[in-house]
Amino acid sequence: MFSTLATILKDNWEWRKQIGRLAVFELMKKSRGAVLSWAWFLIKPGMYIFCFWFALDMGLRVGSSEASGSAPFILWLCAGIIPWFFMQDMLGAGIDVMHRYPYLVNKIKFPLSGISTIFTLATMIIQLMLMAVLFIIYFACGQPFDLYLLQVPILLIMMFVFWDLVSILFSQLSAISKDVANLMQALSTPLFWLSGVIFNVKSVPIPWIQDVLYFNPITFFVTAFRDAFYNKTWFWDNPMACIGFAVVFVITLIATVWVYKKFNEEVADVL
Amino acid sequence: MSSNEPTTTSLADAKQLHKTSVSDEVVIKFDDVTKTYNLYKNDRGRFLGIFNYNRKGSFLGSVDASKDLSFEIKKGEAVAFLGHNGAGKSTALKMVTGVTHPTSGTVEVKGRVSALLELTAGFDMQLTGRENIALRGQIMGLTRAQIKELEPAIIDFAELGLYIDQPMRTYSSGMKARLGFAFAVAIDPEILVVDEALSVGDRAFQRKCIDRIREIMMDENVTVLFVTHASSVAQEFCSRGIVLDKGTKVFDGPIDEATAYYEANY
Repeated sequence: MFSTLATILKDNWEWRKQIGRLAVFELMKKSRGAVLSWAWFLIKPGMYIFCFWFALDMGLRVGSSEASGSAPFILWLCAGIIPWFFMQDMLGAGIDVMHRYPYLVNKIKFPLSGISTIFTLATMIIQLMLMAVLFIIYFACGQPFDLYLLQVPILLIMMFVFWDLVSILFSQLSAISKDVANLMQALSTPLFWLSGVIFNVKSVPIPWIQDVLYFNPITFFVTAFRDAFYNKTWFWDNPMACIGFAVVFVITLIATVWVYKKFNEEVADVL
Repeated sequence: MSSNEPTTTSLADAKQLHKTSVSDEVVIKFDDVTKTYNLYKNDRGRFLGIFNYNRKGSFLGSVDASKDLSFEIKKGEAVAFLGHNGAGKSTALKMVTGVTHPTSGTVEVKGRVSALLELTAGFDMQLTGRENIALRGQIMGLTRAQIKELEPAIIDFAELGLYIDQPMRTYSSGMKARLGFAFAVAIDPEILVVDEALSVGDRAFQRKCIDRIREIMMDENVTVLFVTHASSVAQEFCSRGIVLDKGTKVFDGPIDEATAYYEANY
C-alpha cells in the first residue's frame, strides 16, 4: 500500500519537468485556432457568473437578503463559483484523462498518475488566472487585504492534491469501463446542486442535512473559499466541514492507492 | 570493418558492415517473462472480471502472448526477432519499450529506448509538426537546447518543407510516418526498436531510412532490436536471431542459423 503511494509520488516528482511542459501544451491546444485564444479562458466563466448573478440577484432576489453585511453579493457568488469552475473541469474531463492522452498510455513510457497531474496542473493554471480576477473583484469591492486571505493559497494546494487523486482514481477506472466516466459525468450535476455553490449551506434549516452536505468535498472547498473572501473566518473554525472533508480525503486516498496498485499495469492493455 | 565510410554502400555490401564489437554489459534482460491477455466478450464483462465476478459466457479465455521468455541482450548487439504473425514479437518489444508490463517474470532495460513501432501513432494531431517534435523531445526528457539542436535535422530528414508548421491533422499518412521515423532516429537512442518500419514513403525515402538505420547500427554503443518476417532484411542488418513461436523462444543463435531454422520450420 505505502509502496504504491511512494511510487505515485516518486513518478510525479521525477517527471515533474515533462508534466509541467505538457500542461502548457494542453493549454496551447485549448486556445489554438481561436482569434481571442487565451481570452476564452476568462470569457466563458464570465458568462456563467453573469447568468447566475442575474438569476439569483435580479430574478430570485436572494442576493439582496444575503448581502446584509458590507460586501456585495457578486463577491459572495464569485468566491464560490470560481473554485467550482476548477472542480467542474476535474469532474468532466479530469476523470477520464487516459482517453485524452492515449499516446502517453500505450505508445510512450509515461507514468499513468502523471497524466492526471498534467491535466490537473493545466486546469489549475486556468484557475489561478480566474483567482487573479477574483482578487481584482475583491479589491474593487473595497475589501481590505487581511490575514484571512492567506487561506487562499493553502486551499488551492489542497484542491490540487485532492482533485489530482480523484483524477488518478477515476481515470484508471474509466479507462477500463466506460460506465465509470458516464457515472461521474451524470453525478456532476447533483454534486453541484447538493453543494453550497449557489446557496449557503449554513442556511439549510435541518442540521443533519447540513452535516451530510459537508461530506461533499465541493461544499468544503466552496465554503472555505467564501470564509476567506467573504465571511472572514478560518475554515478550521467549521469543524463539521473539516471532518467531512477529512473523511472523504482519506477514503479517496486509500481507494486511489488500491486501484492504482491493481490496475496500473493493465490499463495500457485495455485502452 | 569500414564503418567510417559514408553510407552510400549498396545492399550487397551491407553484410560486411555487420557489427562485431559487442560489450559484455547486458542492457536488456528478460527473465521468465509471461504476458497473458484475458479476453472478455465485452467491456462490461472485463470490468466485472476485475472484481473476480465472472459471469458465464463473458470470459472467453486467456492468451499467452509471451510465455516463459528468457534472454539477455548485450550492449551493441543487433538482434532480429523472427516469427510469423501472432508469434509474440510485438508484445516482447512493447515490454522492452515499457508501455506494457509482464504478467509474471521481470524485464530489465537500461538506456534510452527509441521505438519505431507504429510510426504514425503517438503524435498529437492538433499540434503542428514542430510542436510535436518539441512535445516528444520533452517527454523523452531532452532539454530545450537539445531539442532546438535536433530540430533542423529532423525537419530536413522528414522532407516536410512548409508543412512543418501546419497542424498534423492536415498531414498525409506518409508525412506523419516520415516525421515519426525522422524523430525516432534523430535522438541518438541507446536502444533502437524497429518493427517493420522500413516501408515508409517512396523508394528514395526508404533508401534514406535504411542508410540511417545502418549508420545508427554502426555505433557500437547502440543496441538494435529488429522485428521482421523477411529473412533477407534480418540477415542484412543483424548478427543474432531469436525465433519465436506462440510466445516461446524456439531458437536463439547467429543470424544465418536462425534464418535457416526459420525458413525450414515456418
